[in-house]
Amino acid sequence: MSNNKPMPVPTEISAPFWEGLKAERLLIQQCNQCSHWVFYPRRHCPGCLAHELAWREVSGGASLYSFTVTRIATMPDFADEMPQMLAVIELDQGVRINSNLVGLDESEVKVGMRLQPVFAEVDAKGTRLLRFTGMDKDPQALKSLPAAVEQPAVAAPRVRQIALDDEAALQSLVSDTFSPWSNRIVVDQGLIDAFAALSGDDYWIHTDPERARKQSPFGGTIAHGALVQILQSRMQLNLDYEITGFSNMVNYGSDRLRFPAPVPAGSTIHSRARVKRVERVKSGTQLTLELNIHVLGSERPSVINELVILYM
Amino acid sequence: MGLKGHAAIVGSAQYKPEKYATAPRMFHLEQVADLAAQALRDAGLQASDLDGLVINGPQFHEASVFVPAMAAEYLGLRLNFAEVVDLGGCTSVGMVWRAAAAIELGLCQAVLCVLPARMAPLGPDEDPSWMARAMRFGGHSTAFGAPEAEFDLPYGHMGQNTGYAMIAQRYAAQYGYDPRALAKIAVDQRTNAQYNPQAMFYGQPLTIEQVLASKKVADPLHVLEIVMPVAGGAALIIASKEVAARARKRPSYITGFGEHLAFKSPSYAADMVQTPIGPASRRAFDMAGLKPGDVDAAQIYDCYTITALLTLEDAGFCAKGEGMSFVREHDLTWRGDFPMNTHGGQLSFGQAGSAGGMSQVIEAVTQIAGEAGERQLAQCDTVYVSGTGGVMSEQGALILQGA
Repeated sequence: MSNNKPMPVPTEISAPFWEGLKAERLLIQQCNQCSHWVFYPRRHCPGCLAHELAWREVSGGASLYSFTVTRIATMPDFADEMPQMLAVIELDQGVRINSNLVGLDESEVKVGMRLQPVFAEVDAKGTRLLRFTGMDKDPQALKSLPAAVEQPAVAAPRVRQIALDDEAALQSLVSDTFSPWSNRIVVDQGLIDAFAALSGDDYWIHTDPERARKQSPFGGTIAHGALVQILQSRMQLNLDYEITGFSNMVNYGSDRLRFPAPVPAGSTIHSRARVKRVERVKSGTQLTLELNIHVLGSERPSVINELVILYM
Repeated sequence: MGLKGHAAIVGSAQYKPEKYATAPRMFHLEQVADLAAQALRDAGLQASDLDGLVINGPQFHEASVFVPAMAAEYLGLRLNFAEVVDLGGCTSVGMVWRAAAAIELGLCQAVLCVLPARMAPLGPDEDPSWMARAMRFGGHSTAFGAPEAEFDLPYGHMGQNTGYAMIAQRYAAQYGYDPRALAKIAVDQRTNAQYNPQAMFYGQPLTIEQVLASKKVADPLHVLEIVMPVAGGAALIIASKEVAARARKRPSYITGFGEHLAFKSPSYAADMVQTPIGPASRRAFDMAGLKPGDVDAAQIYDCYTITALLTLEDAGFCAKGEGMSFVREHDLTWRGDFPMNTHGGQLSFGQAGSAGGMSQVIEAVTQIAGEAGERQLAQCDTVYVSGTGGVMSEQGALILQGA
C-alpha cells in the first residue's frame, strides 16, 4: 500500500470517533436536546445548534445509499485498490457516511443492500478506517493490513524455442499484445533510500517524506525513475519464447526510455513486455523488447523501456 | 418579492476555449481589463458608465483577498458596488442576479461581471508544482479541521467525478437508467456545436455509440459525458433600464432568479436525487410569473449529462423520473422542439473553470439579441439558464427576457 495516501488527522472534536475505530467500536454523536443523530463529528447539533452532543456506541447496522466503481483512480495513490468501490452508507440511525465497500464482488453490490462495518487497519500505527461489507462476509477477515504482497496466480506460459536463424519464426514474435504480468514487488522508502545512497541522487522529493508531504505535487516521496527501471531485474517476465542458437547476447541499451507516471513510495509494481521489432544488423540480430512497469492497478505505465538486445 | 425586471444584460465577451497547454498566459488583472473592454464594445458603452463590479475571489491569480479593490484600481473604475462570488460553477448565475439586485436597489447603473480563466504567466522563481498540488485534491479542502479532509479523502472520495457518479447510481436505483438517453444529451449538444465555430468540438460530430464506447471513468459515467476543462474567461455588462436603452443590442432583462444550497457533499443531502435546482428554479419562475413551458430555450449547466437530466426534471420541464423519456422524445438541438444548450453546452463548448457557466448565460443573451448566426432560433424572447457548483451542491436559475 502506498504510504502517500491521505490519512485522517483527528481534531479535538473528532478524536473519540477515531479512537473508537481503533478499539473496533463505532461511536457517533447524538443531540441530548433534540435526539438528532450527527455525522461527521461536530461541536454543535446541525438540527438545533445546541451544544449538547453525546457520544453513543451504535451497532454499525447500515444500508447502501449509493456507490460507484472507479475505473480511473481518484488519486494515483489509490491505484493499488483499483477498482475502488466508493460508497455512501446510511447507518440505521439515519446518518450518512462516505466510505468504501470491501470484500464484495461488483455483481453483489446493489443500492439498498444491508451492510456491516469493517474496522479496516490502514497503517502500522493502528489507524483504522470505517469500511463496510456484505452481511454474508466475514468482517474480521477484511480488517487487517495485507501482510505481504499478494502474488497473482499465473500459469507459466508454454515456452516456444525459436532458433536465431529462423527468420519467419523470429518475425512472428513481433506483437502488439503484451505478456501476462510479472510477479509484484514493493518499492518502499528503504529501497529508495538505499538507491539514493548508491547513486548519490538524494533529492528531497525521493528521500524526505516530511518535506515531500508538504511540498511535493505527489503528496509524498516518489521513487527515482532510474530505480524503478532497474527493478525490472526483480520482476520475472512471463515471456512465451526462448531464443536458441546464439553464441552471445548483450544488452545494447534503450531506444526509448520514459517515466510517464510517478511511483509513490510504498507502491506495489509489476511489469509486462512485448517484442516490438526484430532486425538483422551487421553484428547480429537485434530484438527490441518494450518493457512497461506499472503501479499495480494503474493503466498508465511508470516506465516505458524499449530495450535492445543484440544476439550474436 | 424579487426583481422587477429593471436590469438587463447588455453586453458580453468570452475567450474562445483553448487547451491549457497552448492558450495564451495572461495575468488575471490583464484578462479582466481585456474582457471588460470587449464586453463594453459589445454593449456600445464606455468604461465611464461602469460603477459596479462582481468578480471571482477564489482562484484569482494576483490576490486572494481585496480582489475587487485591486481590480478597480487596475481598470481605473470608481465603484459604488463591489462583490465577490464563491459558488463554483454557479458563480456566473450568482453574479448576474447580484448585479441586477444592486441595480434595482439603485446602488449602481452598470456592473461588470467578470471571470478570468486563462492561466497566468509563471514568475521567475515560481514553482509550477503548486498547481499540481492544487489540482491533486480537486475542489476538496485539505485544511486541518475541514470535514472532507478528515472524512472523505482517506477513502478516495475526491474530485467531482465520483460524486456525480454516485448521484447517477442512486437515480438509476430509483428510476431506472437508460445510458442511451444520457448519451443523447451529449450528442444533441454536439450537433449544436457544429453550428458554433467558437466551440471546442466544432467540426467533430458525435454519435450515441461513440459516447457509450468511450472509457468509463466511474460507473456509470463515460468520459464523453464529462466536460473537458479548458482555458478561457468571460465577462458580462449588466445595466439599468436607462443605460440599456442606449446600448447597442437587444437587452436581456433579468426577470427571475433563484439560488439554493445546503451541503457541499451530496452524501449529506436530504435526498441525493432531489437537487437544489428544484427550489431555485421554482423561485425563478414564480418571480418572473412564468412556467417552464413558457421558455423558448433552456441553457442548462451541463458539467455531466446527469446534471442536465436532473435539471430537466427538478426545474419542472418534465416530471420526476421522466427525464430519460423526455430526452428520447424531444430533439434538443437548435432546430428541435426543445432547444437546449444551443451553443453546444459545456460538454461540447468546453469548461473554462468557473467561467464555464458564463457560456450558458452568454448563449441565452446571444439568442435573445438575435446574434446566434447559423444556430439562431426563429423566436427567442424568454430563456431559462441554470448554474451548478460543486457536486450539485450550490445551484441557481435565471429567467432572461427580451423586451
